Amino acid sequence: MGGDELAHQSAKEVASRSMRQIPIKEGLWTVASSPEEKPRLIGSRCLRCGEVYFPSKAYGICVNCQSRDIENAALSRNGKIYSFTVVMQRPPEYYKGPVPYAEGIVELPEGVRLQTLFTDCNFDDLKVGMDVELVIEKLHEDEEGNEVIAYKFRPATRSKGGAD
Amino acid sequence: MAHLREVAIAGVGLTHFDVYDGDRGRLFKEGYELGMEAVLNALQDAGMEWGDIQAAFCGSVYQNTGSGHQALDQIGMTGIPIINVENACSSGASAFRLAYQSVATGLYDIALAFGYEKMPRGFIRSTAWPLWQRYMGFNVQPAAYAKESVRYAEETGATEEDFARVTVKNRKNGSLNPNARFQKEVTLEEVLSSRMIAKPMRLLHCCPLADGGAAAILCSKGKRKSKGKKVTVAASVLCSGVYGSLTGGSGTAISSVRIHNDLVELSAKEAWEKSGCGPEDMDVVEAYDTMAPGELWDLEKLGLCKKGEAPGLLKTGALNIDGRIPVNTDGGLMSRGHPLGATALAQIIEIYKQLRGEAGARQVPGGPKVGLAHSMGAGPNSAVTILKR
Repeated sequence: MGGDELAHQSAKEVASRSMRQIPIKEGLWTVASSPEEKPRLIGSRCLRCGEVYFPSKAYGICVNCQSRDIENAALSRNGKIYSFTVVMQRPPEYYKGPVPYAEGIVELPEGVRLQTLFTDCNFDDLKVGMDVELVIEKLHEDEEGNEVIAYKFRPATRSKGGAD
Repeated sequence: MAHLREVAIAGVGLTHFDVYDGDRGRLFKEGYELGMEAVLNALQDAGMEWGDIQAAFCGSVYQNTGSGHQALDQIGMTGIPIINVENACSSGASAFRLAYQSVATGLYDIALAFGYEKMPRGFIRSTAWPLWQRYMGFNVQPAAYAKESVRYAEETGATEEDFARVTVKNRKNGSLNPNARFQKEVTLEEVLSSRMIAKPMRLLHCCPLADGGAAAILCSKGKRKSKGKKVTVAASVLCSGVYGSLTGGSGTAISSVRIHNDLVELSAKEAWEKSGCGPEDMDVVEAYDTMAPGELWDLEKLGLCKKGEAPGLLKTGALNIDGRIPVNTDGGLMSRGHPLGATALAQIIEIYKQLRGEAGARQVPGGPKVGLAHSMGAGPNSAVTILKR
């Protein structure tokens, strides 16, 4: 699936869903068209040097080789923890979710590292190299009572996860 | 490239780094007053008049428009150019580099580099992250270093005790520095039992905030008026980001899986080339310890030891004032505190004082001849300054 098509599908699907769920930013992930289909993060791949990015490069420029030959790519839902931390103190601004919270860097098999929140886990169990999988879930509620949703990763569940 | 002239340091000035909020018996000072005070101290140290200064470069981050103008307006406007430099935590080193290059290239004979900051309270606020990432909670500065610490521990076997030893050493050095915000030693136990901020970073792994100012006057050959040993600038390097480098404290720096570069290594390599020195020549070092473990990988990336060796050097005392490679002899950011615009200049000033033999109770023995100061900044930035006498 091409980049524009992916982004278009993403926007359309979000619009057709409940008005009360708002993504933290448009175009970060695909939205499933059926219950069996699972969302994927949307990245960019440079067709010249092969570097992969997340989020996708909004201006279509590869920041490694400056090529404009770059396309959107749906990324794997599973990856490994590259590094992580547990923030114990509420940030002074912006973040409105629970504290403490775990965030870190996940490496996906396409060869991209991305910053993410971790969920559905005991923070003490997080480890470098741990298998994790993508989920889209609530980040916080905004002032109008809408649920703002974001991508997060959680420890991979072999029983639920299935083939990817 | 054009021939560069020799550039010497004519004089330096610092304020006491402290919290100038007027609360609980503390003094109240405006930010620009701290800048002005540092400049006046530097003029006195240099034995120069304000009218001698031909150009001024001022580093700051949170001081609104025209930080340099605000400070120098109180001394006198003389028609010289005043350039205000915002380069996050390396703003002071960036101002120093501009003053250096303006003298080295022959545009001016005497130039002033200074920096100051009156810090907002709490976590250092970084707006370098896109808004949606701030809502995700990604912009917490200690968390960025925490993740780099976890990687460092994974790759080298370093422990939380190793991280804590950096604080213990630097706070001990700081107890000998009358300009430092914290002049009281702490124990390993105190560090390891302090409040967790972002696992594994505890409160006493974080440098304290502070308000303060720092200034250095640079000049060409023959223009120096102060007595004492001559100290020249062997290299003043700034590298602002390189693809493939994981750099703590910066919003967009997630390293590539396939492409490996390192910003600190890159800036160090350029500094060695420019100065004609090597890591083995360094008699005293100011490393970047905004978070305690950063000092360890900083020394390794600068090439002062191999990867994974810094914790051992620290443990055996090699990084102490009387050790083989004295590091952060003035207590580093950990004791001085961190007024963003002034910090990198304070590091350079410590090297200057050590080379001149003017570091008092914390003087490195044996008459150090060459020293290096390294600062990082969000963006990212990496600045390396090498001084020689």
